Amino acid sequence: MQVKIVIGTISLMLTMIILGFAALREPSRLEDFTLARQGRQIENGAELFQSQCMTCHGVNGKAEECYDAATGEQIGCAGLPLNYGPLLCEDTSQRMINMNWEGSKPAFIQATISSGRYGTAMPTWAADFGGPLRPDEIEDLVQFVLNWETEELCSAPAFQYEWPATIEELLAEFPEGDAARGKELYVTYGCSGCHGDPEGDSAWAGTGPWQGHLAEEAGTRIEGMSGQQYVYESVLYPNNYIVEQCPTGPCNTPSAMASNNFYARMGDTAEKPQDLVDIMTYLGILP
Amino acid sequence: MATFPEQIREMGVKQAVIAKADEVVERVTAGMNISDIRAALRGDEPRRPNPRLRPHADSFWLHIRPSFYHTEVTHIYPTFRMGWLSTFMFVWETITGIILMIFYTPSPLVAYSNMWNILSNVPLGQLIRNMHRLGAEVMVIVVAMHMLRTFITGSYKKPRQFTWATGIILLVLTLMLSFSGYLLPWDQLAYWALTVFISGAEAAPAPAIINQNVLLILQGAPSLGAGGLLRWYLLHVLLMPLMLGILFFVHYYKVVLHGMSLPPGREEIGEDTAKRVPKNERTYFIPDLLTSELMWSALMTLFLVAGALWLWDAPLETHANPVVTPLHVVAPWYLSWSQGWLKLADKTLVVGFIPALLVAFIVMPYFEVGKSRRYADRRVGLSVAFLFMAFMLVSNWMGTPEYRVASSPDREVSIEILPQEGASTLLAVPYDEMLEGSFLPGQDLGENYPHLNEALADLAHAVLANSCTVGAPKITTIEASEWKECDVVTLENGDKQYNTTFGNDLMPDPYVLLEIEEVQPKLLRLTLVYDVPEPDNPNEFRIQTSWTAYRHADSNYEEECRYANKNC
Repeated sequence: MQVKIVIGTISLMLTMIILGFAALREPSRLEDFTLARQGRQIENGAELFQSQCMTCHGVNGKAEECYDAATGEQIGCAGLPLNYGPLLCEDTSQRMINMNWEGSKPAFIQATISSGRYGTAMPTWAADFGGPLRPDEIEDLVQFVLNWETEELCSAPAFQYEWPATIEELLAEFPEGDAARGKELYVTYGCSGCHGDPEGDSAWAGTGPWQGHLAEEAGTRIEGMSGQQYVYESVLYPNNYIVEQCPTGPCNTPSAMASNNFYARMGDTAEKPQDLVDIMTYLGILP
Repeated sequence: MATFPEQIREMGVKQAVIAKADEVVERVTAGMNISDIRAALRGDEPRRPNPRLRPHADSFWLHIRPSFYHTEVTHIYPTFRMGWLSTFMFVWETITGIILMIFYTPSPLVAYSNMWNILSNVPLGQLIRNMHRLGAEVMVIVVAMHMLRTFITGSYKKPRQFTWATGIILLVLTLMLSFSGYLLPWDQLAYWALTVFISGAEAAPAPAIINQNVLLILQGAPSLGAGGLLRWYLLHVLLMPLMLGILFFVHYYKVVLHGMSLPPGREEIGEDTAKRVPKNERTYFIPDLLTSELMWSALMTLFLVAGALWLWDAPLETHANPVVTPLHVVAPWYLSWSQGWLKLADKTLVVGFIPALLVAFIVMPYFEVGKSRRYADRRVGLSVAFLFMAFMLVSNWMGTPEYRVASSPDREVSIEILPQEGASTLLAVPYDEMLEGSFLPGQDLGENYPHLNEALADLAHAVLANSCTVGAPKITTIEASEWKECDVVTLENGDKQYNTTFGNDLMPDPYVLLEIEEVQPKLLRLTLVYDVPEPDNPNEFRIQTSWTAYRHADSNYEEECRYANKNC
């Protein structure tokens, strides 16, 4: 019996020592698991991004390189860039200010994914609102999108080109347009995602009107305004003039294009305004 | 009786306090004072009248325990302490389970993140969870061993048939308790194991209307969801422990009533002398059995704590996903035999056979009425038992993915190297050692990349196991001699299959590439690319697929691979 008492006592003491050892390593273990949890959320978010978001937001989230999921052909990106400083940098990012969002950044992204953006190609994703994703999947996606925020992305000084009031002043600065480059940009800026291929079928049934005959029509929109000035303003300030009929019904007011924010995206470096000139050249509005 | 102040006046403070302490101890132990306890611990003979019997008469906890046992049943043989250990495990599971309940909400919205909260935010949370899960597995083993030894020593025979019957029900309840807890983490492992298991209800040999309604009750909805999780949770924490507790007392009452059966050789055939214990063969509960039980409790606690900390880790897969079925869904190991049977026979037959088998077990002692418990007289019974056990072992093996219906060969390679759930050698390569680029199976990247080399060697093994050669191996980093020759079989429809002794429809001379690229800071995409040209027509592909997984720097798959129950 004495042997049993000794064995029992030693076992109990060893258990206590082991528990003490376990307690000592707890702080670092808890930290590891907190990181691991986030890491695995990002992994799962990456998988969801690949299967659900890439077609519109592009292979690296820059909304530049999009492929049709079925055919593998390159198409215009219907979505906005997510791997993008003005969306991700600062606690209150530029995009949140533009959209009048007063909550936190993760909540902004979560809300946008969950409920979509009405009137644009962005659908609702949360199962609660009729979409395909569970709440935990939305959370994983949020973690994945936030993971694009890096010092490298955010250290670039913020630049905003001061757009002149008239197209003539812009052309004085950027006189030459390149139609071939404009054709590419029409896809990579995502124009074709909503407006279709201007060289293709005029019976386009997307979110925005087909622009194949813009060169003829733009000048007739507003009395006394040139077609060039009309398109110039429409891209930069989409709410200034809204056409009544879009292919799928009355166009949205305010314009769905407002969220695209080309004012900022085409003006975030000193060279970028050239893109607008190229696109307008491609559409036949500029010579 | 004198009051305490009076005692102080009479004996002085010191003596009065000693006397008072003695009185309190005697009340708490329901009969033994301090010197009685010291005498018992020293191994002295008790005084007369024996104070060590009084707790059995007066105390709540000990009145159910016999005050003495036949010395023959107090050794390791014949009981192996299995009954006591089963009880210990039940108490262990209750305590660790109640702690886990504090941090758990049975809702699909939060159950899974509760698990991560337990792991990442509750001090010692992982240890408690591991102890609970490890305890559940150990309890199943202990209860099964208890039943096995009861059969082998013939202790189920008259007058203990009813004890055996309650024991069978306790075994089933133990399995159900363990299995009902399986669903609660709400991960893929849980969701699909349970979905597969309860889909058995649909195949039961009963009218469809009954089957459908049983399934509906088990799932709480047409598919497993919030309602199902809540009712399995309630089964796990309320109904089953309650039933197990009640049945335990019935079982143990019968054990005490009939006494524990002596080793078969110790009594005449047909006699049952367990309750007639001669004075010189008595071993008293206090102090001998109590000491022994406390020692086993301490040893078991040590084993479970150390095991949960260093040897074994409770699994946690990704969030339950009703639309994605993992490739090889497995039942928990203790139900693996049923999965094995499903591969052998018709589902309805299997689902009908299991309750029939249970009933057979329960009524067995009433039909098997041979008087002798001695091994030599029970050759047929023991042989049948061992054959049955062998059958169960084989069934168990057949239930594992080892014995499976293979999917396509490229998929088999993919889930071995980049599994949908859990870690693998490749996922567990330390992040610093991960290299961007394209790699061939078996490629050697030099001494700076030992883990990546090992993972590529694993990839080579997996590729070799799922392919064969028709004479032109395309992966240069694998020795030509390692490829197995294809047996080319032409099917009725003219298609060709490439087989070996080890598998059918393999990849003839595949080209496999592992691509690693960074897609975000600290996030790598790992892609396995398969190009298998048609051997007769090299311009066409038999298989042209890829498989993607992601690896984040902080995901810590390395940690998972340290444990005995992980296969990497």
